[in-house]
Amino acid sequence: MSLTQTSRETPLAEPSLEVRRRDLRLPLGILVAIVALSAPFLIGSYALHAIIIALIFLLPAHGLNLLVGYTGLLSLAQAAFFGIGAYTAGLLAVHYGTPFYVNLVAAGLMAGLIALPLGIPALRLRATSFVMCTLGFVIIGQAIAKNWISVTRGDMGLSSIPKPFFALGPASFTVSGTTGFYYLTLAVAVLATLAVWAIVRSPAGRNMIAIRENETLAESVGVPTWRYKLIVFMLSAVFAGVGGSIYAHYLTVVSPLTFQMYYSTTMLIIVLGGGAGTISGVVFGSLLFVGLSEALRVAPELRMIAYGFCLLILVFWFKKGFAPLLNRFWSFVGGVK
Amino acid sequence: MSTLPILEISNLTKSYGAVKAVNDVSMHIDRGEICGLIGPNGSGKSTFFDCSTGLGRPDSGKVTLDGQDITGWSLNRIAREGRMLRSFQKTVVFKALDVEENLIIAGQMFTFPSLFSTFSLGRMSRQRVTALRERARELIRMAGLWDVRHMPAGNLSGGQQKLIQFASMLMPEPKIILLDEPMAGINPKIIERVVETIKYANKSLGVSFLVIEHNIDVVTSICERVVVLDQGRKLAEGTPQTIVQNQQVREAYLGG
Ligand SMILES: Nc1ncnc2c1ncn2[C@@H]1O[C@H](COP(=O)(O)OP(=O)(O)OP(=O)(O)O)[C@@H](O)[C@H]1O
Ligand SMILES: [Mg+2]
Repeated sequence: MSLTQTSRETPLAEPSLEVRRRDLRLPLGILVAIVALSAPFLIGSYALHAIIIALIFLLPAHGLNLLVGYTGLLSLAQAAFFGIGAYTAGLLAVHYGTPFYVNLVAAGLMAGLIALPLGIPALRLRATSFVMCTLGFVIIGQAIAKNWISVTRGDMGLSSIPKPFFALGPASFTVSGTTGFYYLTLAVAVLATLAVWAIVRSPAGRNMIAIRENETLAESVGVPTWRYKLIVFMLSAVFAGVGGSIYAHYLTVVSPLTFQMYYSTTMLIIVLGGGAGTISGVVFGSLLFVGLSEALRVAPELRMIAYGFCLLILVFWFKKGFAPLLNRFWSFVGGVK
Repeated sequence: MSTLPILEISNLTKSYGAVKAVNDVSMHIDRGEICGLIGPNGSGKSTFFDCSTGLGRPDSGKVTLDGQDITGWSLNRIAREGRMLRSFQKTVVFKALDVEENLIIAGQMFTFPSLFSTFSLGRMSRQRVTALRERARELIRMAGLWDVRHMPAGNLSGGQQKLIQFASMLMPEPKIILLDEPMAGINPKIIERVVETIKYANKSLGVSFLVIEHNIDVVTSICERVVVLDQGRKLAEGTPQTIVQNQQVREAYLGG
């Protein structure tokens, strides 16, 4: 059914007046991949440790970005789901000696499932009450971890969580050492980034953006906003839970301190500072903020002050995080003037 | 079946505290009809729209769409399953998104069979989005928005935003569209364009309309029948000609 007579016309391709240089995006991508793969041989073990932590925090940050950046829901609950994932993986590994990937999947599923009954009442609240409510989840999570001693061992936490191992039939393989752990974390982080990319590019991603832009208007064109918000809340928890499981295996201990507000705010800073609603911004943000925070440990007395100054600079100079800067850089590399 | 009205609203009542914004109003819209809804400011027209389309809950009353009782359905369900679309008095578009994206979003939930299928990036999913984009482009041409189709909707004029809103509602092949003051604050050229488009959608696509409109010339030119609200109550009903001459209606407007 054609609505107009003119619909046969095809739009004229506009001649580009811009002087195009060579498109360097592919070479740059390959270079980044090579650097990422050879990082353990290029930098010291402390820097490698900082990058591992950054890649672990990238997971809950990706989840939070789906929630804050794409759907427009500000949440502080990520640390709660991160903690749930860490305890799930830790308990499985300590008591049942299950392989790494089993713990990882179980941690993601557990966090996602727990997000369902939490999300149903919380998402009915208005924006500010919702934020308070998600803050409550972290505090309650910590209280449970402290007091459910028969399972969590209270303040002592779980210790000697085994190194990640993979079992395939009779063959098994244990990841030990920082280098091995780096590759493992990198692989999970790359997969998670691809997953977020797929979600955001799908029609559901477009609906999420519609909800962020104007919820009532989205409703009026048939988008079941409430169900989308619940699903995205659960997805964000899955990402956090997966991150928590790696964290538990990396540190080999899990304590009630895993449920701390500081983690939720760090994840929020990664997303807002890096660039909410962009994937590259969040990747960059996690490396910058976590890396910075870890790197500044060398000067503990200055650490929080320096961190605070970085946040101030960010707020005043890069109001939308680093994403616009990254975009400009990317099109520059792509050859557009 | 075809003699049944497309939309029937019975004894709708809605109060805001002590104010009875809509007081026991009943009306219907016939299949293929363009029906007008007029009344002085604050007479309850928008509230009547909200309660009929699921944006607000009526205190009492019944809404029947195409023979199905939809009382208590949510706004999104009425749009998606009932294919009854509505516009808002204060024009809203997805400001940060371009015109084409605005229209694609408006069509998505009618093309994908379930919420979970929208998470797919598979071939089927991509084909559906391509089809939506083609339909969006046809409507964009028709609305005269071709040159601005890649501009953020929020950067366009009020009149152009009204056109976006209107074109968006045509994306899902709707049964009935409710328009809340589609001509308010736009220049005569665009009024003409909107009138043409309403007539086109009505004649060629078989969409029924309920239109809230203050511009009496527009009402006379497109509506076969007009319902008048005053202080939340239905005051009169008839052809535009009889309504214009109705003494009670004149008093309501002058005395209001
Ligand atoms: N959310 C609300 N809370 C309280 N009162 C409201 C609300 N919405 C509308 N009202 C009141 O209900 C009555 C009807 O308002 P409504 O907006 O439905 O009128 P209207 O006919 O659309 O007017 P207009 O022509 O100005 O758009 C008014 O007295 C208004 O003040
Ligand atoms: Mg109104």
